[in-house]
Amino acid sequence: MKTKLSFISILTLCITLSLTACGGKQTAATDPKDTQTTTATEASDSRLDDLYQQENQLFADHADAWNKVFAMMDKSDADPNGNYADYLADTVESNKTSFTDDELKTLTEDIESIRKIDEEIAEIEQKNSLSDNSSQKDNSESASVFSNFSGQDFDGNTVDSSLFSGNAVTVVNFWFTGCKPCVAELSKLNELNDTIRSMGGEVIGINTETFDENKDAIKEAASVLESQGAKYRNISIDSSSAAGKYASEIMAFPTTILVDRNGNIVGDPMLGGIDNKDNYDALMEQIQSVIAADSTNK
Amino acid sequence: MDKKKNMLSKKTAKLRGWIQAAATLLTNIHIPNLFQGKIYQGNAKTVCVPGLNCYSCPAAAGACPIGAFQAVIGSSKFKFSYYITGFFILFGVTLGRFICGFLCPFGWFQDLLHKIPGKKFSTARLKPLRYLKYIILIVFVILLPMLATNSIGMGDPFFCKYICPQGVLEGAIPLSIGNAAIRSALGKLFSFKCIILISVVVLSILFYRPFCKWICPLGAVYSLFNKVSLLNITVDNSKCVGCGKCSEVCKMDVDVRKTPDHPECIRCGACIKACPKDAVCYQFMGRSCQKQDNR
Repeated sequence: MKTKLSFISILTLCITLSLTACGGKQTAATDPKDTQTTTATEASDSRLDDLYQQENQLFADHADAWNKVFAMMDKSDADPNGNYADYLADTVESNKTSFTDDELKTLTEDIESIRKIDEEIAEIEQKNSLSDNSSQKDNSESASVFSNFSGQDFDGNTVDSSLFSGNAVTVVNFWFTGCKPCVAELSKLNELNDTIRSMGGEVIGINTETFDENKDAIKEAASVLESQGAKYRNISIDSSSAAGKYASEIMAFPTTILVDRNGNIVGDPMLGGIDNKDNYDALMEQIQSVIAADSTNK
Repeated sequence: MDKKKNMLSKKTAKLRGWIQAAATLLTNIHIPNLFQGKIYQGNAKTVCVPGLNCYSCPAAAGACPIGAFQAVIGSSKFKFSYYITGFFILFGVTLGRFICGFLCPFGWFQDLLHKIPGKKFSTARLKPLRYLKYIILIVFVILLPMLATNSIGMGDPFFCKYICPQGVLEGAIPLSIGNAAIRSALGKLFSFKCIILISVVVLSILFYRPFCKWICPLGAVYSLFNKVSLLNITVDNSKCVGCGKCSEVCKMDVDVRKTPDHPECIRCGACIKACPKDAVCYQFMGRSCQKQDNR
């Protein structure tokens, strides 16, 4: 009996511990996953700064000799893609006679140190550009969500991706009729639509219950929209479309995203209603930055 | 035959931990979803599981009866949740609070916590707190979602939103770990409910099943059926010698000989295991050791 008791208590302890351990591991595994790339780039950025500082320090330490070298440099020769250390060495080599032996010695030593630093810089930059590429890949995945967009508004008019190209920014609000916080922000979304129409933006609602032209759901959603005084367009889409699949992955409502003129999702999705002032301000700020980016791109 | 029945009762009681583990696993069968921060949304979600198990647990196989009840009552389309009430009656009449003792994942969670060694306190003096769960059932599960509504008749699921620690444990925590967007949206309400969860965890270590005894509205519903449920516990008075062991081991503070079908009895079977005369046993639809004995 006693062994059984201790067995049970050990088992329980193991289970509880493994549960908490799993929880801990998951946090550790996911949390850093997001931050990992950023911390990695941050770390490499600070390392880069450090390396550039080292080079400048070398120039500063032997300022007399180096100023001489810099004065001799033929700026038209400078090849930005070439090896900087080689370039320095060439300059020194071709003007050998104007330096004392001591000066030559420090210069060649410095050039070797610079060569090593440059190699390290090149390595870090290559790594950074690789990780940039991978994050760009993620972006292109999210971009395809609205690239072949098609749907119908609640009056039965078909819409396609011209919905997005006509505006600098499109605010897409995902909601469903039975969601109280979603309904609570409808009037505020209508207000937002009125505000941003003049700025080249538009608010679009996508109700997940109205997928695949579900007539009853559309009717119900339309009456809820009317009761809240929301007049902006709501679109019924196919659940099998890319946008439909994107919507079915959303686990918390309301979720609001920003889409630019090219159908790309900009920034992170915002969870929660904009009837909360902080959320409204944050969204407005994002909208303005998308509009600003749009006007500079033109 | 009599011996056999009683053996079966004892065996069931002894296997309780494993049955609880199996029930928890079956209730949360979509394990891979836990790592993706996604909720299973298939057809099984239109059916209720017997225990208190959050719909928003990524792994959940079915809906939580208490959550579903509030969702329907709080929706603008329905005044009362007949479908879920049907589940309550079905589960209540067949099993009663046997569900608390054997099938509820949050019950198991508290059982496991209580096994953590340390000083344990009796809840015998805190009996009046038992009525708190009926108040929570009436106010937070029925009245507030029904009456505190917006202009088009939608109410909040008040119990889920402001009280339920199972929602934080199974819903909010795994979802926010697996889903960055949800993590970014956590606020004061999440912190508040984490405090509730931590309090329940600490209390569960010190007391036996504090949440079931004092707070759980689902336990409150099933307790109403405990007296009439098809599965119950009987004491064979011809065998009972009145030693009082059963009541002594009962962690739900039930006087087993007087009221074996007390609303607080979660059918854990501690009394069945403890009885030196094998006088206490489960019975289903009146078939028990006692009846077999009379034949």
